[in-house]
Amino acid sequence: MTTNSIKIFAGNSHIELAKFVARRLGLELSKVVVLKYSNQETSVTIGESVRDEDVFIIQSGCGEINDNLMELLIMINACKSASARRITAVIPCFPYARQDKKDKSRAPITAKLVANMLTVAGANHVITLDLHASQIQGFFNVPVDNLYSEPSMLKYIKASIPDWKNSVIVSPDAGGAKRATSIADRLNLDFALIHKERKKANEVSNMVLVGDVSGKMVILVDDMADTCGTLAYAASTLKEKGALKVYAIVAHGILSGKAIDVINESCLERVVVTNTIPHEEKKKICPKIDTIDISSTLAEAIRRTHNGESLQEQNYFLWHNIF
Amino acid sequence: MRNIVIFGGSSHPNLAEQIASRLGIQLGKVKLSKFSNQETNVEIHESVREKDVYIIQSGCGHVNDNFMELLIMVSACKIASAKKVTAVIPCFPYARQPDVPYKKNGAPLSRFPRNAFMGYVHNAPSGDSTPPTPASDIKDPFIVTEQNSGSFDGSSPRSPASPTLGRGTGYRHWIARSGTLIANLLTCAGADHIITMDLHDPQFQGFFDIPVDNLHGQPLVVKYIKQNFPNWEQAVIVSPDAGGAKRATAVADKLRMDFALIHKERRSQIPPHKSDTMLVGEVKDKVCILIDDIADTSFTITKAAKVLRENGANKIYAIITHGIMSGDAIQRIQESVIDQVIVSDSVPQEEHLEKCSKIKVFHIAPMFAEAIRRMHNGESVSALFGIMEML
Repeated sequence: MTTNSIKIFAGNSHIELAKFVARRLGLELSKVVVLKYSNQETSVTIGESVRDEDVFIIQSGCGEINDNLMELLIMINACKSASARRITAVIPCFPYARQDKKDKSRAPITAKLVANMLTVAGANHVITLDLHASQIQGFFNVPVDNLYSEPSMLKYIKASIPDWKNSVIVSPDAGGAKRATSIADRLNLDFALIHKERKKANEVSNMVLVGDVSGKMVILVDDMADTCGTLAYAASTLKEKGALKVYAIVAHGILSGKAIDVINESCLERVVVTNTIPHEEKKKICPKIDTIDISSTLAEAIRRTHNGESLQEQNYFLWHNIF
Repeated sequence: MRNIVIFGGSSHPNLAEQIASRLGIQLGKVKLSKFSNQETNVEIHESVREKDVYIIQSGCGHVNDNFMELLIMVSACKIASAKKVTAVIPCFPYARQPDVPYKKNGAPLSRFPRNAFMGYVHNAPSGDSTPPTPASDIKDPFIVTEQNSGSFDGSSPRSPASPTLGRGTGYRHWIARSGTLIANLLTCAGADHIITMDLHDPQFQGFFDIPVDNLHGQPLVVKYIKQNFPNWEQAVIVSPDAGGAKRATAVADKLRMDFALIHKERRSQIPPHKSDTMLVGEVKDKVCILIDDIADTSFTITKAAKVLRENGANKIYAIITHGIMSGDAIQRIQESVIDQVIVSDSVPQEEHLEKCSKIKVFHIAPMFAEAIRRMHNGESVSALFGIMEML
């Protein structure tokens, strides 16, 4: 009986992560050339046969998002035309995840559009990490695996945050309460919440702390850090209420615009992000940034998907073997 | 006109304004911007419920950004209960399907520029590696040479994947053709109808399940020639390559003018292997008008003009439907022997006009406006091409 093999293609958004994932699987990245013509159209050339193979395309929704999204779609379509057996889109940071509801008249639900586009291009399976809202899985008609960075975060807290037993887990907004309480429960720590009023996109007005942080270390937990206005404002609010030190752990460190300046000038002790989005350049000018490597989570998911093993068991494995 | 809304995308706001004013209505209010993390943001500020929506977006400039913007606008209108959403795309993106050329022994001939290895090719500062177009030949990046075995100069130091497998594996490198994908994406976003002009590949209409109206730029070209060239009857229509012969002969027949063709001959078998461009037809002491649909890097028309001048042409003009002019095309035109290049404004031309004195523009807004009016009222659009002189 012929078996097929794993082929991993990387788009231009995050080649380093793709290399780490491939290395963990003991493979080389498969050959592909993705470039732009002089008139800005994207061109994809596949350098190996993918006929009847299990193809994984790793592309994160970061940097030039529209360009990277088009690259991903064209690569998926190219593999489908080349008779791949199954095409899985591995998208560590899902693009347009925040435009997931019609919160005002005529607002587009772009996350749904992206889901449709991926399916139309030919993706049979989607693997992503820490979706902004897990209901986005319902936008797809194909199976979606939403992995969690939580075990990696817990490991980091235990290993790298001194005096973590005397800390309080704080969620910088009401929406992230569930995420923060989950971490607080697993570490057996107290929990607090900051309630913020937001008038315009990327602009925060008023912050109210619910809970007690005086004399404690604080660990802020959130899923995305974009302009970091929220985090910086939260940190200063917490310091006013008596927090000793404020750490921030974030799944997706988008860090766009003036985020680096904001972090450097804030009273945050450290900002920890996963490597779903490349930030090597930013680390050089901001010593407060630290990285959690999630390539092992992705690599394990790819391996289990290919071998037909349970990902639920992976979660169990991660939860219980991380400590 | 009632129950119609026209939105302009950010690729060509000028064209949208002209079309709207020609129709006697205001453009629909929409706010287009980008979030801080580069995601596109679309806010539609008027009701589109049960209305006929037309979204005007050209596939030029930053193609992927403009295309995503178009898809998001279409999707937003659709879920806001618009009755019908039409995408008006004068210059259609990804319309050129790259063909892998073959060598004489049947093996594929595909070459990439030397520093294209899992990364972007920016408009390369190094002189000899010019950015490719969908129609150009490209070097093979999978074979190790001293030039491409290191990391290329560019944004980040990415070392190439181990290029141990070369041609010897018998695997044929091929470039993905994105035509069907683009058609499917437009349909899945919710477009009910597409209007475009002079599609590079007319078979493209078959990739869609929804109606596609491919308007002809030819009547506008014919009108321009009649109005702006004195003694046009004595001029010669020239096609700059064999592929465009059909297009050029259509214009020549309409005007009953002479026709000539420039043909790139295959490399000769005996060394030195030169590839010759040959002129088929007579152009001595005549005014030549080159006709083509797309001018991207403008290599084609400048090389053709050189051949015509060598063969004794008096004056050389070029009429191009889509003047994309990417990279240093403008400079090339300015330095060439062409006297004037006439393009339509399917792609915004303000910048090009400033940099180059040889460019003139003919307007397509009246034709599109009339087509939209007829579609909205349910009248025939092909009848439009019989009365193009009046536009």
